[in-house]
Amino acid sequence: MSALSAHARHLAEAGRLANEIRLSVEQVSYAHSANPAQAPLFTLEATSFQARPGEIVAILGPNASGKSTLLKLISGALAPLSGRVLLNGFVTHSLTPRTRAQRIAVVQQESALLFPARAWEFVLQGRHAHGPSLRFESEDDVLIAKNALAQVGAAELSDRWMDQISGGEKQRVILARALAQQPLLLLLDEPTLHLDIAAQIGLLDALRRLAAENRYTVVVVTHELNLAAEYADQVVLMQRGRCLRVGPPSAIYQRELLEQVFQTPLTVDFGSNGRPRVTVLPGT
Amino acid sequence: MKALARPPLRSTIAGTIAVLLACAAPARAQSPSPISAASPSYREVTDETGRAVRIPQPVQRIVSLAPSLTETVYALGLQDHLVGDTEFCDYPADAQKKTKVGGGINPSLEIIASLHPDIVLVTKSFNRLETVHSLENLGISSYATDPHTLDEIIASSKKLSDVLGAPEAGASVAGDMQRRLADLQKHLGSLPPKRVLFVVWTQPLISIGKDTFIADALRRAGAVSIVDSDQSWPQVSLEEVARLQPDFLVFADSHSDSAAPTVEMLATLPGWKIVDAVTNRRFAVISDAVNRPAPRIVSAIEELARQLHPDAFVEKPENGKEKLEKENPPPNPKPEAHSPSPLESMQSQMAIPGGCPCDH
Amino acid sequence: MRPLTLRRLLLQCLILVLILFVVVVVALKFGAVPVSLYALGRDLLHLLLGQSSQISTDYGLIIVNIRLPRILLAIIVGASLSVAGTSFQALLRNPLADPYVLGVSSGASVGAILALIATPFLSLSPALSALLTPLGAFLGAAATIAAVYFLGRRDGQIDSTTLLLGGVITGSFLSAIITFLMGTVTTGNTRGMVFWLMGNLSTSFQKSVYWFLGIGFLVAAGAIYTTASDLNLLLAGEKEAMHLGVDVPRVRLVVYIAASFLTGLAVSVSGSIGYVGLIVPHVMRLIFGSDHRTLLPTTALGGAIAVVFADTLARTVVAPNELAVGAVTAVVGAPLFIYLLRRRLA
Repeated sequence: MSALSAHARHLAEAGRLANEIRLSVEQVSYAHSANPAQAPLFTLEATSFQARPGEIVAILGPNASGKSTLLKLISGALAPLSGRVLLNGFVTHSLTPRTRAQRIAVVQQESALLFPARAWEFVLQGRHAHGPSLRFESEDDVLIAKNALAQVGAAELSDRWMDQISGGEKQRVILARALAQQPLLLLLDEPTLHLDIAAQIGLLDALRRLAAENRYTVVVVTHELNLAAEYADQVVLMQRGRCLRVGPPSAIYQRELLEQVFQTPLTVDFGSNGRPRVTVLPGT
Repeated sequence: MKALARPPLRSTIAGTIAVLLACAAPARAQSPSPISAASPSYREVTDETGRAVRIPQPVQRIVSLAPSLTETVYALGLQDHLVGDTEFCDYPADAQKKTKVGGGINPSLEIIASLHPDIVLVTKSFNRLETVHSLENLGISSYATDPHTLDEIIASSKKLSDVLGAPEAGASVAGDMQRRLADLQKHLGSLPPKRVLFVVWTQPLISIGKDTFIADALRRAGAVSIVDSDQSWPQVSLEEVARLQPDFLVFADSHSDSAAPTVEMLATLPGWKIVDAVTNRRFAVISDAVNRPAPRIVSAIEELARQLHPDAFVEKPENGKEKLEKENPPPNPKPEAHSPSPLESMQSQMAIPGGCPCDH
Repeated sequence: MRPLTLRRLLLQCLILVLILFVVVVVALKFGAVPVSLYALGRDLLHLLLGQSSQISTDYGLIIVNIRLPRILLAIIVGASLSVAGTSFQALLRNPLADPYVLGVSSGASVGAILALIATPFLSLSPALSALLTPLGAFLGAAATIAAVYFLGRRDGQIDSTTLLLGGVITGSFLSAIITFLMGTVTTGNTRGMVFWLMGNLSTSFQKSVYWFLGIGFLVAAGAIYTTASDLNLLLAGEKEAMHLGVDVPRVRLVVYIAASFLTGLAVSVSGSIGYVGLIVPHVMRLIFGSDHRTLLPTTALGGAIAVVFADTLARTVVAPNELAVGAVTAVVGAPLFIYLLRRRLA
């Protein structure tokens, strides 16, 4: 039974569940104590939200608002102090790394390769969790990797060395590796940090398209107000470890609230597509 | 369709190689004995390290792995049976013509094996136990000596002659050595021994320990080493030497003219200038036979006694002189025979007192 | 896109096996005693056909009992050191790592030196006393592996940086102990100790030792090979590896123990032969790439080839004396490495 047809079944299954909750974050909190003698510092207070297949969720907030911690808890890398994260009914932290990798793909900002590798080798790494640990990649694996590269528009980068392509190209290949994992959930931490404006738009357009086509649930951590407004279906607004609001951008983007969270004067209008647009005012 | 990796396949390849080569190992048990003697009769003896050794009789082919043992073989008149020795075996001159098997620490097992020896002679202070074990694995017996005093050297030579099948020669050599030592004792009588520093190496300053045969040799020559250490080649502090102020420095020299310049050089160094024996140039030079536990060591002892106690030998000058010319070897014409192999000089340059730069 | 297939892997290994075979034949032929190819072929044939009694006494003893075991030892030591070096480079994410960086060889040296000191005092059977030194070395290695493991943990798991620091410190400490022992020990096999520390393949052992070495190598190298794909991912970053499905703590533990065991195995019987574990993995990486599914078997074979070749040079060039094997590997290997490096960068 080829992995392609399995993928198709996966899609059909996902389609059936299209209106069902896929990701459920229930009252998760986290505390970090560097010194056992002192009281722990709450990095994240109890936070909850839910997401469906095909949705893009933006975790939005200024620095040190607990966004990255929340993402790590969702990915299952960290265990929450209280609460739980459910992905299709499974607690993400109690899955084995292998099973987790089949369902959750974390998209890194950079690749820290020690020895040089070609783009296709890099993307093939995404297939590691889908078979016995020691094996040679099957034809299906190769096909899925090719497909992933094509989906991000990087098919012609396939034979290039990773250390010889540009930042934007590398980002696409890294995304392709995540897609090759055929996940249910895509997690990205500040993906637009090192990209220029065109690349930023390109990435988010691709995410929106992929989420729709492949029914991914995408969770993006960002502090970019306008990108979140334009692309997210849901926004989780964070400040200093607390979740202030959860909802669609039109509901969250209120001037007083945003000014208080981001500590800077701004105005909010609404664009022709109904999405809010924020203009930051220069300081007086 | 998944191509399943079969790691055992790679291991199988490596395993096949291992198995093919491991098949070589069983042959060891069945390979024919390397002994070339026509009638394989054996004799069991215990060597000086307490090991039981099986020696084929009669002993036709001997390999020596130490210069002192080579000299002893020659002294016993068995040189025609000596088929191989080390590159350091330079006395007598004929020994240099024998097939060389390498150094004392890592001799070539192949060459030793190709010589088909009946017995390999080793000594604990020059050779390694691992060499003995490796030879055993090849079915070649080794006999080890380990003398620490003059008496033990004499007894060792005697026992060795017995093991090698020439007991009369052994008795004669032993008797000769004992006689000359007794003679020497008569001359020295109850003279107080001179206090000496036996210099193995100047920088760092290395001398000999009290349990070595060299220390015993000094005693027989009417001297006593000021160094009182349990180690064989102790590193001595210059302060200690300055405190004890030896009467003489003693050098064992293979090149008879390098001792004087050495002392001249030492006299210019700040630490050494406070040692009276250096400033007054009171030193004795003897042949390097003192470094080898073999019959020739007695000549070196006699040499030293004459230099330290010249007054005791005023009577009977002819006898003494004859003996001196007969037993004392001329200075070695080939200096490189004494120079250590790169391996050994590397070791001697490491500041490890346990290493010995001289051969014996 | 040309992903690795079993066929390509086997082909690459086959080429190396053939080269190894040629090198072994050369090694059997050359030595301090000249042996003709005809005599060699004839004796090997007798050996393989089980007609040991017909082996000529002239060459048979030398080929079968001296050279063949020595070559076998060289193969196992070379393969072990290379696989260990490759593994540590991946485990520590450091291209400068070699099998000795975590102190295993210093621990083995301490064990060997203690055994060499103790041997004269223990009245053992000849068979046992011959085994005492490699046994002492192996125990020293095992103790060091355990100690460095406990030093290298953070939050209950092996952490690469902590492991490296702990290993280097332990190695330095043990080296100081070695210097101390060498300087103050009065009795015992001092020459033997100095000689052991330089590394050599000239010691011959009983048959059981070779079996233990061979099986030990296959088990440990096999264990490392099961993590080959995981190691590929580890080199892309630890967090990435975890997110891609690698059980990082388990892989680290398996690789650490197996690679240290291989190092202990090699050092116990041959002392510290240097440069093999560092240079061979890099040469193989330049030729075959960094995929550990290919790299591990090819470095094993490459290491075997390198050490057999170096040892043959070491024992023939200045016969009947011998050069240190590690020095020959460095002199021959370094230029080769530089050449390959420049070719790749060009």
